[in-house]
Amino acid sequence: MNNNNNVKSSDPNATSNNTASNNPTSLSRRQFLNKAGITTVGIGLASSGLFSANTWAAKAVGKKASATLHRMARDIYPHDELDDKYYSQVMLPLADKADNDPQLKEKLLEGVNTLDQLSQKYFGKDFVDIKSEADRVKVLRAIENSGFFQTIKGNLMMGIYNNPELWQHFGYGGSAWEQGGYIRRGYNDIDWL
Amino acid sequence: MTTKFDLNDDSLVVIIGSGAGGGTLANELAQKGIRSVVLEAGKRFTLADIENDEWRMFDKISWLDKRIVDGPSRLASDFPNLPAWIVKGVGGATMHWAGVAMRFQEHEFKMKSTLGTVSGANVLDWPISLKEMAPYYEKAEKKMGVCGTEATGMPFHGESNHYKVVAAGAKKIGAHCEQATLAINTEARDGRPSCQVNGFCMQGCKIGAKWSTMYTEIPRAEATGNMELRPNSMVLKIEHDKNGKITGVLYADEKGAQHFQKARLVAVAGNSIESPRMLLNSASNLFPDGLANSSGQVGQNYMTHVTGGVYAEFEKPVHMYKSTVVPGIVKEWQDHDASRGHLAGYELEILHLGLPFMSAFLNPGKSGWGREVSSSLANYDNMAGFWICGEDMAVESNNITLHPTEKDQYGLPVPVVYKTDHINDTRMRNHAYARSKELFESIGALKVNNLPPYPASHNMGTNRMSEKARDGVVNRWGQSHDIKNLFVSDGSQFTSAGTENPTLTIVALAIRQAEYIAKQMAQKEL
Repeated sequence: MNNNNNVKSSDPNATSNNTASNNPTSLSRRQFLNKAGITTVGIGLASSGLFSANTWAAKAVGKKASATLHRMARDIYPHDELDDKYYSQVMLPLADKADNDPQLKEKLLEGVNTLDQLSQKYFGKDFVDIKSEADRVKVLRAIENSGFFQTIKGNLMMGIYNNPELWQHFGYGGSAWEQGGYIRRGYNDIDWL
Repeated sequence: MTTKFDLNDDSLVVIIGSGAGGGTLANELAQKGIRSVVLEAGKRFTLADIENDEWRMFDKISWLDKRIVDGPSRLASDFPNLPAWIVKGVGGATMHWAGVAMRFQEHEFKMKSTLGTVSGANVLDWPISLKEMAPYYEKAEKKMGVCGTEATGMPFHGESNHYKVVAAGAKKIGAHCEQATLAINTEARDGRPSCQVNGFCMQGCKIGAKWSTMYTEIPRAEATGNMELRPNSMVLKIEHDKNGKITGVLYADEKGAQHFQKARLVAVAGNSIESPRMLLNSASNLFPDGLANSSGQVGQNYMTHVTGGVYAEFEKPVHMYKSTVVPGIVKEWQDHDASRGHLAGYELEILHLGLPFMSAFLNPGKSGWGREVSSSLANYDNMAGFWICGEDMAVESNNITLHPTEKDQYGLPVPVVYKTDHINDTRMRNHAYARSKELFESIGALKVNNLPPYPASHNMGTNRMSEKARDGVVNRWGQSHDIKNLFVSDGSQFTSAGTENPTLTIVALAIRQAEYIAKQMAQKEL
């Protein structure tokens, strides 16, 4: 129902400020997410710019695993009209972190490995090679309770829906007080009732 | 203000908590010349700290100390450590509320008389009536500036898009819907501006149009010179002498240093999890089950309202966020009518969430992902919806207890919050889901999503009021049945939950309690 299809950043150097890693409150946000059963790892976006599935995570987990994680990200919160970069910029900090965090690196690699094993078992091919979304979802449902899956999901939820760059696309206004609120800005302009 | 009281001054009232109950009590006492120290566990915020950002404000003001949710409920699996969504900071939950200010209905003070014995529940009448509360409700409405009431004469906000959508559906199915009476200025009043509809009432009102003790009661009490606020002060124990009379409060400051503040009387107002927790943590040789607990009811009968969400998706935009958070209420099912298949009533409160929170609460928990969820979120701008708020039954086994081994950062046992539906709660919620669907489909909803309950902002009942000492914790004034100079001043004194949001009733009770305390002091009874 949104009009802005295929949202692309007009400024490739724009910094997304939704969850800057230097945000002193990010610890308590993680606290909530943990309390809420949502696992995240260092939700933070360094700087955005344009990323592709091939460039972001290869360093830490390898090209194959990064492609798998990317496909998985797009299946968790699928928005076909969104450019890859909105998913990649969520995964990038994870991969960055994995570079210096052997435990996380193992978690990601093991998770990808399990995903491929299950994909082979169910469909005779690796996860990225499964063509049907419904089939990929079947594999993902089988691992949704894992820490690996919930880590990716938690980061994506914040990275997609708490990303001010995407609020206009989703039809959400964000901060309003600086603009005098809505009392004179679409408060009661509905015309289809 | 710079008023400083001495730790050894035993003529002071010590109030624990600075929200709707504690903040109001402090100011009411201060205006009468009664001196108090307010111990607040959280820090002091200013309007500059308030942002129109859901997660940032969640991070900033929420009470995130460890708690454990127990019980066979989806809440326990979705939010295992976050039973309640309340505030740690000066102003308490009056920061995080939508401003909905409604009086209880007459029968809601008399649930036992109205319903009789309810199997599996611990229902009781309040020892007070609506008639007795009416003048205090009026004072509370004036104090808080509740629009749409005779007490203030302030008009309603006017119908927002979100309101209009729901009102159209309500009209189609013959359900009564009206604008909400909110403690939000619709005219400049009492030194605070008129609402400009930022749409972030729950995150703290950036311009102070919504009533919060943070910038009304607290500074006014301080201005009298009769109140000293001590933020970052976590109460560890309430102490007493050999006769069982309260002598003061042991608390830890920001740096962890412990202080003992002497007191003439203590009023507990830390919300319905912390208040009973303090009383339980204060167990002694004389009171081995905790203070004020001869009935065994401290911590019991924990109520949160029957809640849930319903969000409908339409073909065209609603922009529900361009509204006060709660612009109106469907009141059709607010009364008690057993022919509906459940006891007591509920309200459908029109309420918006921002996109960030919608993504967290539309289908919370581990399975909330995939195309169905993302398709609904892609439809965010076409959504309209409710938060269900119904009376939940007092059930003794819904309670706050202390974890036997696990401690928090203050060295206090972590609270365990057990809450599950009474069968009546489940029936009521299902009724509300069904009526909501009918309402939204009558005006062309394409899809109607039912959201499970999320962490509770309405927490009530764990130190309840009762006529007889054996049935509850406090008397009709919020005064402990067991200990004369110990009071409860928050929502934990509620005997039943009502369907209405609790804040107005908490404030009315605090105004009334202040009068009682002042009289008792004057008569040397306290």
